[in-house]
Amino acid sequence: MSDLKVNIAGVEFNNPIITASGTFGFGREYAEFYPLSALGGVCTKGLTNYVKLGNPYPRIAETPMGMINAVGLQNPGADAFIKNDAEWLKKQGTNVIANVAGNSIEDYCAIVEKISDVPYVDMIELNISCPNVKEGGMAFGVLPKSVEEITKNVKKYAKKPIIVKLSPNVANIKDNAKSAEAGGADAISLINTVSGMAIDWKKRRPILANVNGGLSGPCVKPIALKMVWDCYNAVKLPIIGLGGITSYEDVLEFMICGASAVEIGTANISDPMASYNIAKDLERYVADNDIDINLLVGSLITD
Amino acid sequence: MAKKDFTLKTLCNERVGDGVYKMVLKAGEDIGEIKGGQFIHIALPDKTHILRRPFCIADFSKEDRTVTVYYAIIGDGTKVLSRVKAGESVKALLPLGNGFTMKEEYRKVMLIGGGMGTAVLPAIPTAWADKEYYTFLGFAKKEKMIAINELTDRSKEIYVATDDGSYGRKGFVTEAIAENIERIDPDVIMVCGPEILYKVLKKTLEGYTDRTYISLEKRMGCGIGACLVCNCKIKSADGMKYLRACVDGPVFNMDEVMLDE
Repeated sequence: MSDLKVNIAGVEFNNPIITASGTFGFGREYAEFYPLSALGGVCTKGLTNYVKLGNPYPRIAETPMGMINAVGLQNPGADAFIKNDAEWLKKQGTNVIANVAGNSIEDYCAIVEKISDVPYVDMIELNISCPNVKEGGMAFGVLPKSVEEITKNVKKYAKKPIIVKLSPNVANIKDNAKSAEAGGADAISLINTVSGMAIDWKKRRPILANVNGGLSGPCVKPIALKMVWDCYNAVKLPIIGLGGITSYEDVLEFMICGASAVEIGTANISDPMASYNIAKDLERYVADNDIDINLLVGSLITD
Repeated sequence: MAKKDFTLKTLCNERVGDGVYKMVLKAGEDIGEIKGGQFIHIALPDKTHILRRPFCIADFSKEDRTVTVYYAIIGDGTKVLSRVKAGESVKALLPLGNGFTMKEEYRKVMLIGGGMGTAVLPAIPTAWADKEYYTFLGFAKKEKMIAINELTDRSKEIYVATDDGSYGRKGFVTEAIAENIERIDPDVIMVCGPEILYKVLKKTLEGYTDRTYISLEKRMGCGIGACLVCNCKIKSADGMKYLRACVDGPVFNMDEVMLDE
């Protein structure tokens, strides 16, 4: 029987389509284009304990089949999200995943504890892989040992399932996935953006004010697929796959490689209707072929 | 009305100067109310360029459901756009951005355009036909000029300067502005051009900057306010803040904008 519902760490999603952090704000801009209830979930812009101004301009550069960004976690702070947006977002009829970041282990614990008390949030995604902030972010996500340490600490304060978002900019992503699992993560999501640069050769300058940025879009999809497959074979945790998804066929590829759900990121920036269209196309595919989408997860044939 | 991604038919897309193109697009349905200073976010018709390109709406017709844009070939993206043929379709979001604010009591409106920034101006008298327009334009040379005919027809007075003297007055348009500003004594000034023009105008328009509104051009992502890449540095009570060009702008009061980045 056809089924689009998926379950990640005890949380049921109407479909496996979730929007990726940083590409969807808190959902308000996109709710003007379509009902957010069409999505399995919305993952918020990265939240920090305090207001964060973000990096200077320029923050974006287009690259072949992709883009590089360095926004630097500009956000109004967790309190503002809780006060102004959390309830509204949940009432749109979709799952809410709060993406959180910090500068220290204490900082991460504090925001996780705070968000855990918000009834409108279903899960928390731990951003330990943002390449665009000077402190924090990726500093916690590179070494497997620190992934385990931060996950273990945060779990003491978490009353919601914790998704650890992994960076691709590491020696061996399987080790980081295993560390997240050992630290008590409830799920992992991957990949965050790939560290990169774009330059203006005429000026001999980097295009981004931050010099470096995170590469995303269709150009990173092969990297992401490989890493999802690697992690699927390394850990028992449910995996949320992301990296360059622009179509329902891409979603199926990620699920076959071991993702239980996916996040759509850069495609929202190219086309505000992208996540909605992908969800509808997937629904049609599943109905036409009368399949349970969960049976595809990790079904890659390699012999 | 829910926002949507429009499919627009290209009526024309032709070279009108040195590396400069004019494109007219037609919608199959109502495109809503357009103000001067708003923009259109066009998806390029290929798969390798994943970001849309924002262009100011140079002119429009609500009855005909058409919008006009002028663009310069700057990189690969605009090259791809220039290959779109009449009859072909493009996807676009419009109208986006806050645009200029025209108050009932304004009578004399000064329009200032620098280079491609001139493209934003014709839509202003189209949107608000009952005002008196005093227009000042500066270009590098004659072959780079745009929208001269439209603006001549809609202006009470028009002044054009070119850097090389190939058309109009030789030199910078700011000289003509300095000579005429007190005589005209405009109620509001609307400007679009490169940041260097704004820096010079801050001096030229001394005493008038609080009634001067400038349109900022930024590298852009989603165009609808979600991705936060088109940040503009704006004065605030505690120093500065970042606002988004796409929804908080692109038009800001000149006194509010911090022009150093």
